[in-house]
Amino acid sequence: MRGDPTAHPHSLDATIDEATREERHQRLAMMLAAYADQELPAETVSQIDAHLLGCTRCRRELLSHRAIAQRLETEPLSRAPAALLARVTTTIAAAPIVQMPADRSRAEHHTVPFSGRYVRALATLSAIALVTVFAWTIRAPSTTPIPSIISTVPLPSVALFSAVLADYRRVTALDLPGRARDLAAVRAALPFSVQPLSSEQLSLLAAWTTVLDGEPAAVLAYRWNDQLLLHYVVSEQLLFRPSEVRRAFAAGHPMAVTDGAQTVLTWPSRESGEFLVGEATAAELVRFRRSPAPH
Amino acid sequence: MTVAHVDPALDARQARFHALVLPHLDRLLGFAKRRTNATGDAEDAVQDACLRAWSAFAELRDESRVRSWLFRILRTVLSDAFEKEGRRRQLVSITRLEDAHEALVGSDADFVFTEVVARIDREVLRKALSDLPDDFATAVELHDIDGFKYHEIADITEVPIGTVMSRISRGRRLLAGAIVLNRAAWPLGVGDAAQSAVLKSTGNRTRK
Repeated sequence: MRGDPTAHPHSLDATIDEATREERHQRLAMMLAAYADQELPAETVSQIDAHLLGCTRCRRELLSHRAIAQRLETEPLSRAPAALLARVTTTIAAAPIVQMPADRSRAEHHTVPFSGRYVRALATLSAIALVTVFAWTIRAPSTTPIPSIISTVPLPSVALFSAVLADYRRVTALDLPGRARDLAAVRAALPFSVQPLSSEQLSLLAAWTTVLDGEPAAVLAYRWNDQLLLHYVVSEQLLFRPSEVRRAFAAGHPMAVTDGAQTVLTWPSRESGEFLVGEATAAELVRFRRSPAPH
Repeated sequence: MTVAHVDPALDARQARFHALVLPHLDRLLGFAKRRTNATGDAEDAVQDACLRAWSAFAELRDESRVRSWLFRILRTVLSDAFEKEGRRRQLVSITRLEDAHEALVGSDADFVFTEVVARIDREVLRKALSDLPDDFATAVELHDIDGFKYHEIADITEVPIGTVMSRISRGRRLLAGAIVLNRAAWPLGVGDAAQSAVLKSTGNRTRK
């Protein structure tokens, strides 16, 4: 028996049998936390008030609930470090708007795997890369001549180049890479082939999607020595839309535009179009170009 | 999955997201820290939760519920991570904790326990919480530390409110038991005679 019926011999508890009293005690005892938290309706509160008068054990348990709740309430708040705030804001800024349920199923999660630890490592690498890019901008400009095989045009003449360069500048002005996703997820999201560049000098840091000229594109970020290069892959329909590009490719040339220290190099691949952008000369970038698509 | 095109409203969407979500980063991080073993893992989970929230931002109809919405997402992220990595906490036997609690409330030294709990340090409390099954610890923490009401916890944990009530009740009992079992870490200075009374009343039943 849990109660103390001798304290109130005329109470209701004293008139019912032991089993019923124990059942009632257990039921009300389970509500003591909610009673302490003021989460019960008034009628139930009155029942517990009455029960507490005759139940020493429940009075002790109520004290225990209140003591624990009061202690936990004083737990100091964890402060999110500035670096975490920066990571979140940067990744949100660079993330494509992908509509999916926030509590998506495990199966969907495996379809688009995402590792926070991976992003953190990338962010660190990116920070290193961007610092180096900054150093690159203050050094003397390269005097390497552009090979004659490359067709060069002024930047404003081709809107697609401007869009690529603007996206490159937007991304590199922030912490790279925004929402990191693995290459398989990027490939699954796009209707054309996405192949990373293969060069011992390049290491793939991240892949994600973006929008260029109103159409989806893949972005692959590479570390090249201590620099960052962004590789955009677009549909062949988008690449061949500008007449200047078609003319250059028809002549068998890759094509490049330069704006300040930055260069955009483009070439067609088997089922898509590719751009490579970085703080480098066209001659430096062209070495990473994939072999021309067979005619 | 479809990739939406960027539209002119993107900046406004980002500004709204920042205004609604970022003020809750501290609380989200605190919750994640208590659910993981490393600060780095907790930060990763919070970042992942924010990204999922961004992807599903259009689902948030009632801005007044943003905090519980974010916690629900974070809880999903943490559940995924635990299942993926196969991590399981080494729990103290629930029976042991329940026995310790029974001994505590059956003793005459409840005033000592109140004093002990009020003065117990953060690390001891964290260790005691980590001894609880996750469902119980989550319910207790969401209420007592993060200040959610029962109906909000039901929404976050996706269980009926009656289950929340039961989990908080049982969770606090188990936490009291864990604190009693961890008596070696009790703060010095608690009245020795009274403390002895608690130890005497709980000792025989909890030592196994």
